[in-house]
Amino acid sequence: MDEKIFYITKGKLQELKKEYEEFIKLERHKNTGEAPRAFESEDLNPEFISFQEDMSFLRSRILELNNILEHYELIKNPPKEQKNIVGLGAKVKISVDGKKDEFIIVGTLEANPALGKISNESPVGKVLLGHKPGDEVVVSSPIKTVYKIKKIKYEIS
Amino acid sequence: MKNLLNFFIEIGKLKRMPRRGWVINDIKNPESIAEHIFRASLMAWVLGSKKSGLKTERLLKMALIHDLCEVYAGDTTPYDSVLPKNPKDRKKFMKTWPRLSSAQKLKLSKKKHEKEEKSLDRLLENLPFNLRKEIKSLWMDYENGLTAEGRFFKQADRLENFLQATEYWKKYKKPPQGPWWEWACEFFDDPLSLEVIEELAKQFHKKFKPKA
Repeated sequence: MDEKIFYITKGKLQELKKEYEEFIKLERHKNTGEAPRAFESEDLNPEFISFQEDMSFLRSRILELNNILEHYELIKNPPKEQKNIVGLGAKVKISVDGKKDEFIIVGTLEANPALGKISNESPVGKVLLGHKPGDEVVVSSPIKTVYKIKKIKYEIS
Repeated sequence: MKNLLNFFIEIGKLKRMPRRGWVINDIKNPESIAEHIFRASLMAWVLGSKKSGLKTERLLKMALIHDLCEVYAGDTTPYDSVLPKNPKDRKKFMKTWPRLSSAQKLKLSKKKHEKEEKSLDRLLENLPFNLRKEIKSLWMDYENGLTAEGRFFKQADRLENFLQATEYWKKYKKPPQGPWWEWACEFFDDPLSLEVIEELAKQFHKKFKPKA
């Protein structure tokens, strides 16, 4: 299991804690042979409910959540004087070779480039960190791509 | 046994289904979805064994099932919703990575997930309960990156795709490399995956000198 630090938002932390508690409850029910009544939380992703019988998944997920909850660091809004610098949690409007796009810089756990959530450990995430609006950054790759930072906003929940 | 045999017949279709990303790039005799699964599985196993703590069995099962949903849903690419119909415009369009609005990204991602889940459910509906649940939960893990295996396999899956794109580019001068590298530098974040793409850059782009 990874022993890295997981950078997560407060919202994500609450979500994971809730999921962990529900899964521990469910595992306890299973180990004692009792049929679980139902997930008590209405906020829990309904897709998970269909996994009630899958113990292998349940154990893997509990181990995973345990690992995250032991090694996390919260992503917080930066102090006022650093709000115009790209950091974790920043929503960054960019232009890539003239085309507009928008990213949120997140930790690896919440990364989903298809939704514009770029990992701080990806080459683009790394190169954007620490820059300000107006800066142009180039990613080291065989094909030169220039990212121009247009605007930075923090809306961390 | 009848239901199992029917399942095997249905998944056999993946051996004859070409990957759409290569079709829209006019690649001759493009690989099938099953061929992609084959190398992605081996890459996940071999690369996964270099990382500590990953369960190989879970990783391999995930690799084997990750594209089963494409039996009925078909294969999709990020270009699908925005691809021009005219072949000339299409060729020009494919030289850059499609940049979509946040709303478009969310809509497309949701639509793809729903279509694939529906297709997977249809494929699995007559399988024994435990097998059905196991395949479904492995797929959800792959889709949502719920465990270390789920997150790592997503990277291995895309590494296979990237390697194939680069091999075709070397052979046929297509698909264009620009959008692939643009995407790769935003997608890959696992240290081992980054090592693989660095090696890929060295072998396929001899003139490239990575920045220290």
